[in-house]
Amino acid sequence: MSAAPALAASTPAAGPRAGLFARRVAGRVAALLAVALAWEGLVLLLGIRPFYLPRLSSVLAAIAASPGAYAAGFLRTLAETLIGFVAGGAFGVAVAVAFLRLRALREMVFPLFVVSQTIPVIAFGALVVLWFGNTLIAKAVIAFYLTFFPVTVNALIGLESVDPRQIALMRSFGASPRQILLRLQLPSALPQTFVALRLAASLSLVGAIVGEWFGDTTGLGVLLLQAMYNENVVAIWAALLVSALLGTGFYSAVALLERRLVFWGAEQ
Amino acid sequence: MLRHQDDAPAPAPEPLIELKGVDKTFGPVKALSGLSARVGRGEFVTVVGPSGCGKSTLFNIVAGLEEPDPGGALRFEGRSCHAADLLGRVSFMPQRDLLLPWRTVIDNAILALEIEGRPRKEARAEALRMLPEFGLAGFEAQYPHQLSGGMRQRVALMRTFLFERDLMLLDEPFGALDALTRTLMQRWLLDVWQRHRRTILFITHDVDEAIFLGDRVLVMTARPGAVKLEQRIDLPRPRRPDLVTAPEFIRLKRTLLEAIEEESLKSFQIAEEKIR
Ligand SMILES: Nc1ncnc2c1ncn2[C@@H]1O[C@H](COP(=O)(O)OP(=O)(O)O)[C@@H](O)[C@H]1O
Ligand SMILES: [Mg+2]
Repeated sequence: MSAAPALAASTPAAGPRAGLFARRVAGRVAALLAVALAWEGLVLLLGIRPFYLPRLSSVLAAIAASPGAYAAGFLRTLAETLIGFVAGGAFGVAVAVAFLRLRALREMVFPLFVVSQTIPVIAFGALVVLWFGNTLIAKAVIAFYLTFFPVTVNALIGLESVDPRQIALMRSFGASPRQILLRLQLPSALPQTFVALRLAASLSLVGAIVGEWFGDTTGLGVLLLQAMYNENVVAIWAALLVSALLGTGFYSAVALLERRLVFWGAEQ
Repeated sequence: MLRHQDDAPAPAPEPLIELKGVDKTFGPVKALSGLSARVGRGEFVTVVGPSGCGKSTLFNIVAGLEEPDPGGALRFEGRSCHAADLLGRVSFMPQRDLLLPWRTVIDNAILALEIEGRPRKEARAEALRMLPEFGLAGFEAQYPHQLSGGMRQRVALMRTFLFERDLMLLDEPFGALDALTRTLMQRWLLDVWQRHRRTILFITHDVDEAIFLGDRVLVMTARPGAVKLEQRIDLPRPRRPDLVTAPEFIRLKRTLLEAIEEESLKSFQIAEEKIR
C-alpha cells in the first residue's frame, strides 16, 4: 500500500530522463554530422586551398593511413592526462581539507600556491622536464600542476559552506572530526568540487600536450609538433581532430561521473 | 521570579538533568540569565516563550554544543558536568530536519547509529523495523527531496529516536507543519513516547501543544531567557484529542497565555526601543 507512492514517484522520474538523454545524444550526433558535411562541402564549393583548410575526408584518410601512430599518441596523451588529473584532483582535495583544519597553514601556503599559478606553464614545463627527464611522469606532473589549484580553491569553498547547524547535529551524536569530514563535509563539497574538476579535465590535457613539446617520441603533442615542422597541414588537422576527440571524451566522462555522484542536485 | 516553584513537588526523586543559575552571552547579547530548570527521568517537559528568548540556546547547552558562561551549575544523572560532556549522550533534534540530501530515508535515520560504530547492516535492519511506526513504510529508498515536509520531519524524529539516549531534545519539531498534520503528529508522538518511555524536553511556540503534550510546561521570559513560570499539567493520560476543549485545559491555557503575553509584550517593546 505504501509502496505504491514510492513506485509512482520513481517511475515517471526515470522515464522522461532516459528519453531526454536519448534525444540529447541524437541531437549531438546530428549536429556533428552537419558540421562534418559543411566542412567537406564548403571546402569543395569555395575551392579553399588545402594549405588553409584541407577537406575532412583527406584528414580522415591521413588518420586511416597510419592508425597505429594516432592510436599510440592518443593512448600516451590520455595516460599522461589521466595520471595528472587524478593526482591533481586528489591532492587538491587533500590540501583543501588541510587548509580547512589548519588556518595557519592556509595563511602560509595559499599565497605560495597563487604565485606558483602565475608562472606560465611553459616556463614551469622546462623545469619539470629537467627534473623528471623525458618521461611520462614529467608530462603528468605538468597536468597535475594545472589541475590541483582550481580543485583546491573550489573544494575549500564547498567545505566551508557546510551548514554549521548540520555540523552541530553531527557533534551532538558524538561524531569525531573525521566522521564529520567523511559523512558530511566531503559529500557536501562534491558539487562545488566538480565545478573545478570539469575545468581541470580540459586543463590537464593542455598540460600533457605542452609537456610533450619539450621532447618526446609519442603523444598527440609530438604528432602536432612534427606536422608543424614538416608543414604538413593535413597531419596538423589530423592531430587536432584526435586531440579534440580526447578532450571532449574526457570532459564528457567527468561530467557523467558528476551526474552520477551529485545526483541530488543543488538542494536547499 | 519562579512562581509555583515551591508548591510544585519534586518531579522525580532524582532529576535526570538539572540547570542552576545558567547564563549565556554571545558578545553583546545576553541570551540566558540565571536560568534554572530540572527534568525528571521519564518526564515530558515542554518549553514555551517568545521567539528569540533563548530556547534554542538552552537546547544547545543541554546537547553539549555550547558551553554556558562560568558560574552556573549543570548536573546530569546526579553528577556535575560540563556541557561538552553531554556530546553523544543526549538525543537532539534541531529546529530544521537537516536531512542529508545524498542519503536515503533509511540511511538518514541510521546516521547517529553509524557514528556510534554500529554495523550498517544491523542498523538498517533495526530502522526498517521502525519505519511503519513512523508512517514511513515503503519509503526507505526515497531521497529527502522526494518527501513532504511532514515526512521529512518524521525521518528526523526517527533518527532522534534511533539514537537511544535517556534524554531527548526536540526543538519545535512540528513548527513548520500545517495544523491538521500537527495534531496528528502530537497524538502520534505521545503514543510513541508512552511505548519508549524516554525523557523529553520539547520546545514549542504553541500553547495548546505545550499543554497537550507535557507533564510540565516551562514558560520562559523575554531575552535574557529564564524560567518565568513552571506549570504542572495534571491532565490524565492517555490524552484524548477532545481534551483541548475541557474546562481544566482552558484554565491552564489562560494562565499560560497570560504569562506568555506579558513576556511577548516585553520583547516587543525591546524591539521597538531598538528601532527608535
Ligand atoms: N551562536 C550565536 N551567536 C550569536 N548570537 C546568538 C547565537 N545563538 C543565539 N544567539 C542569539 O541569542 C538569542 C536567543 O536565540 P535562540 O536561543 O535561538 O532563541 P529562540 O530559540 O528562543 O528563538 C537571539 O537573540 C540570538 O540572536
Ligand atoms: Mg529557536
